[in-house]
Amino acid sequence: MKKLIILFYFLISTAVVSTEKNLVDINDVLKNLRCLVCQGQSVADSNSDFSQTIKLVVQDQINEGKTEKQIYKFLKEKYGDWIVYNPSFNMINSILWLFPYLVFLVGGALIFLLLKKRDYR
Amino acid sequence: MLSNLGNIILFLNALITLSIIYISIQKIKIKDQVVSKNIYQLSLFQSTLIISSFFILVIGFVTSDFSMITVYQNSHTLKPLIYKISGTWGNHEGSLLLWLIILSLFSFLFLVYNKSRPGNFRIYTLIVQNILILGFLFFLLFNSNPFSAISPIPKEGLGLNPILQDPALAIHPPLLYLGFVGSSIYFSAAIASMLANYPGKLFAQSIKNWVLISWWFQTVGILAGSIWAYYELGWGGFWFWDPVENASLLPWFAMTALFHSLLVLEKRNLFYFWVIILCILTFILCVTGTFLVRSGILNSVHTFASDPSRGIYILFFLSFLILSSVFILFKKFQTGNYKINTNSKETYILVNNWFMIFYLITVLLGTIYPIFTEVLTNHKVSVGPPFYNTVIIPIVVLFLIFMSLGPRTKWIKDRFQDFFLLIKLLTGSILVNFFIVIFFKSYSLLSNLIIISSLFLIFSSLLDLISSLKRTNTDFSRVISHLSFGFLILFIGLNHNFSFEKDFNLKVGEKKKIDDYTVEFEDLKLENFKNYKAVVGNFKIDNNKKKLNLSLNPEIRIYQQPSTLTYEASIRTGILKDYYLTMSNIDRSDYYNIKFQKKPFMLWIWVSVILISAGGLVRLFKNENKIS
Repeated sequence: MKKLIILFYFLISTAVVSTEKNLVDINDVLKNLRCLVCQGQSVADSNSDFSQTIKLVVQDQINEGKTEKQIYKFLKEKYGDWIVYNPSFNMINSILWLFPYLVFLVGGALIFLLLKKRDYR
Repeated sequence: MLSNLGNIILFLNALITLSIIYISIQKIKIKDQVVSKNIYQLSLFQSTLIISSFFILVIGFVTSDFSMITVYQNSHTLKPLIYKISGTWGNHEGSLLLWLIILSLFSFLFLVYNKSRPGNFRIYTLIVQNILILGFLFFLLFNSNPFSAISPIPKEGLGLNPILQDPALAIHPPLLYLGFVGSSIYFSAAIASMLANYPGKLFAQSIKNWVLISWWFQTVGILAGSIWAYYELGWGGFWFWDPVENASLLPWFAMTALFHSLLVLEKRNLFYFWVIILCILTFILCVTGTFLVRSGILNSVHTFASDPSRGIYILFFLSFLILSSVFILFKKFQTGNYKINTNSKETYILVNNWFMIFYLITVLLGTIYPIFTEVLTNHKVSVGPPFYNTVIIPIVVLFLIFMSLGPRTKWIKDRFQDFFLLIKLLTGSILVNFFIVIFFKSYSLLSNLIIISSLFLIFSSLLDLISSLKRTNTDFSRVISHLSFGFLILFIGLNHNFSFEKDFNLKVGEKKKIDDYTVEFEDLKLENFKNYKAVVGNFKIDNNKKKLNLSLNPEIRIYQQPSTLTYEASIRTGILKDYYLTMSNIDRSDYYNIKFQKKPFMLWIWVSVILISAGGLVRLFKNENKIS
């Protein structure tokens, strides 16, 4: 029991130490944006004129004190959902976000049933 | 001349393939169980011909014979010899020829290496494999002929895309093709096993080494691609969840699930139809991957190989493969007996398959989802790294824990006995993670869980290793692969959390201070090379605290044929971390955009993958020794 308490202590203290910071990191934002004139590159990784412009725009937005979400919203309105690598969670996209977990649950249930069937016989 | 010769050989090859199919079908009809000599000879002849046609193409590239469109479009007289040669498979037509070589060669080798097995199983395998060969041969001849002539003959070629002129990229496609196309043989064998009623256990023995071979090449091929992306694309990452990267990962999941299930089929004669499904799925995913890459339907860094008309043919062939294999599967399907105990190796292998299928579905869905939204709602979305990371990482935590528990269980039935040992291991992992957080840097809760679970896998595999050293029948292959997988996830986790990246503009002579580092832009030189010019920067990196002093030389290369700029990163690889620097010019300005990165444990990520694949090789050699 003592061991379990110690274990728990470490787990919690780790969680406390790792509280995240709230500042917007420009690199995180740029990595999440698609360079629209490139082939499969993010704005952060591209040297194109388009990316240079977007980098400046994002820097301005951060300076204005906007949050990450607000910046994405601003860019989506201008360039469409295509520019952000993280598809937003809405009615249509819920298929994308939830279907994998559905498969996971069904798979787990199948294995469970397979094992249970055997136990009854 | 070469072009005519190549065409003749390809047509001859089509005839041979047709006659192999014809002779084999006759054999099946008269229920002849003997694989006759003429089948061997034809099969050998087929492989020899296709290899010689490939060498003709290589000669075309080496001698810059621009009378062939493929050579004209992908080569240039000023290119270094090695890239003239690697240019042979650095394009669609040539790589398809390579694809055919592997199909034919594997067909022949499977025939030779399975002499002890019943004739009708081998003949059915041969028929299916030759139908595949014929399908791709027709594709090659009528849509993507590498030997198509051009007239009048151009004086100079268009050159090879400069980012493809690279040693890692010379070996990356052939490796990956061996993985992709290698899976064709167990696809054929799976269909043959159903048609010939070849029983599960023996079937498992006949294909297990082929699965391992293709899996090994797939793993190493993906690694070569990642290393190339890391130093060539200049962003300092090695995996971007790009559609084409995903296309290579999908069959890898299926293969991994397959060779785990094969263990059960061989040992306990269970899961026969599940194994068949995985065999079919693997090859189908490989062809799907080819379709995605070659049709240009997806936006990716790999779009140098795309053309819509190719897509239609592959899609047609793919549908044919899926429909016919599903038809045979339904006709032959029987519910097997699945008597397994909850706490047994069999269950854990099922669990492995469960997770593999989850990863597979997630990555597949993420890859093709944008196509559907665009077609159905005319709405373009991007599915990139954040999606995969969010969906997959929490599940990986669970996966790593099961992966630590699985190998400790016995076949058939086991009791929970070393529960306290596991608690101790878990405590150890949490402690180590705690110290990492305290002494280095804190990271998100999810990262904590990933690091803890990977440490758990590492510790439990190490314990396995120690205890198995005492026994005589050691399963090194599994211990090596599982241990290295734990290390891979650990190093990726640490690399992700401790990487550091700064982006700034400098001109010659200026300095920039970032934390403890000073980056000094000393000078800029223009150098001439055989087929490009390069602007080489000279940067000095200082860190007084760590007594670090190194110079890095990133380049901007100016290629004339075709005229392109490429940015070459300068990387200093170390045991603990890599320093990574790229520079790019800014229009109408003396300033250069500099990206300075510190990437911990990069070397160990590569080493982990090499060790994972080495585990597969160990198993392969062990299997071979058992037979002889």
